[in-house]
Amino acid sequence: MAATVVNTISGAIDFLLTPENWTGPRGILARTQAQIWISVVSMAMSAAIAIPAAVWLAHRRRVPNLSVAMVNLGRAIPSFAIIVLIFPFSIRFGFGLGFWPTCVALVIIGVPPMFTNAYSGVASTPRDMVEAASGIGMTDHQVLRKVELPVALPLLITGVRIAAVTIVATATLGAIVGYDCLGTYIVSGLRRGESGRPEVLVGAVLVALLALSVDLILDRVERRMTPWNT
Amino acid sequence: MTIRRIPLLAAAALVLAVPLAACGSDDSSSEATTAAAGATTAEATGSEATGSVPDGPTISIGAQDFGESAILAEIYGQALEAAGYPVSQEALGGFRDLVFAAFESGDINLTPEYAASALEFLNDFAGEATSDPAATVALLQTQLESRGLVAFEPSPAVDSNSFVVTAETAERLGLENVSDLTADLRLGGPADCPDNASCLPGLLSTYDLDLSENFTPLDGGGPLTVAALDGGEIDVAILFSTDGTIADKGWVVLKDDKGLINADNIVPIGSQELVDTYGDALATLINKISASLDTAELTELNRRVGIELEDADAVALSWLQAEGLVS
Repeated sequence: MAATVVNTISGAIDFLLTPENWTGPRGILARTQAQIWISVVSMAMSAAIAIPAAVWLAHRRRVPNLSVAMVNLGRAIPSFAIIVLIFPFSIRFGFGLGFWPTCVALVIIGVPPMFTNAYSGVASTPRDMVEAASGIGMTDHQVLRKVELPVALPLLITGVRIAAVTIVATATLGAIVGYDCLGTYIVSGLRRGESGRPEVLVGAVLVALLALSVDLILDRVERRMTPWNT
Repeated sequence: MTIRRIPLLAAAALVLAVPLAACGSDDSSSEATTAAAGATTAEATGSEATGSVPDGPTISIGAQDFGESAILAEIYGQALEAAGYPVSQEALGGFRDLVFAAFESGDINLTPEYAASALEFLNDFAGEATSDPAATVALLQTQLESRGLVAFEPSPAVDSNSFVVTAETAERLGLENVSDLTADLRLGGPADCPDNASCLPGLLSTYDLDLSENFTPLDGGGPLTVAALDGGEIDVAILFSTDGTIADKGWVVLKDDKGLINADNIVPIGSQELVDTYGDALATLINKISASLDTAELTELNRRVGIELEDADAVALSWLQAEGLVS
């Protein structure tokens, strides 16, 4: 058992030290790029859906229970199932393999953290602060832009960060429906049994590193954008 | 005592290969034997070695997670059960990696395998398998030996990877052989294809065809690959030669004109313990089943399970009955 672990790790290191594994259409660089690309598209779509809706609902002080429950359902449904269920429709309606089925699943898991955090952020603006802003003559729009959004910003960015890390890590699943990304190392390695284990480890480590880098970068962005908060 | 010996001797005479030593050990197996014989009909007793089964471990048959493996597991399992062996079916919910892990853990001790693919899996894809079944099984046997496993005789039924195109594509591009393929075609197949000696590297070395730029990693001849070919997302699919869908959709299996594809004959693999305990009678029965099966029959069984949605156990039973292997 210990020998197997050592073999897997040394095999993975060999794999990473072999230059040919980094280049080409199925190299580490191309697959990392694919993983980032699908994550960026999914993040943009999730943000476009989640943030305006959450901000508007919170600003209007709409009772959020139903929408929050519905959005959080997205976190409960396994992404694996979503991808597999959407796959045949994607082909039938000409959206192709891989990319779009995965994208839909990623949007569904990307929306909840951004929606909940943006909502909580805006809704947490103290009532008297909003009233004071109106009192000094701010329009409704100005209250949102100059008071509520700055108050919400730290929480909102945290939501973006959580969503981004989740999406980058989950994009791995695209490999099961033919999206050639870092997850393909895991799917392909799994099929090859013992000899494929180093490849599985390589895939897992690369995905983890990518997700951690995204987290680190967004942490910097968060500090930069909310200097008063640190 | 005398009553039990008569059918025993008759059975021994019928199954010529049963060694005398096996008869001696039969006496200790009274309860299991009686129970098993009671479960089967008198006719079965006449045609098979029922009643001569020594005490031994339950034959746990591991089926991989696709229809044909389930059908084959049922075929071998039901025939063994009818012959009086204690049998249990284990759905592994996965593929080859789980089969050999399950052998190691003792969860299974018999599985229907594919000669070349099993060999390549066990030898870390060394590329030793060829299109010759006997040579491939001989090499497989050496790989199995160190693992305490043994391969029975290969069946003439072959379920190999095959390159499949739709009838429209075949007609439009005049495709008949694998050598007719061109590098601009989009290939879809299992994710390990780029590393598999009989997949992308084999196409390059045997056919001088580089499809690596146009390859999409999908599943191993499963529904994703079928959906991708059906929906026109890929031009060439790697499917199994006995896939019922091929017949159902009227797809074209390209002829492997340069002999790239290895001898993936059905070959049951069992534990050495099983063979040691149950002796030649078991091997004789398993080999007889294997010999009765051919590719066309297996494709038809797959079509019934995969397309007509019949149950694997019912389809297996009807084939066994048609072949006269169980009554």
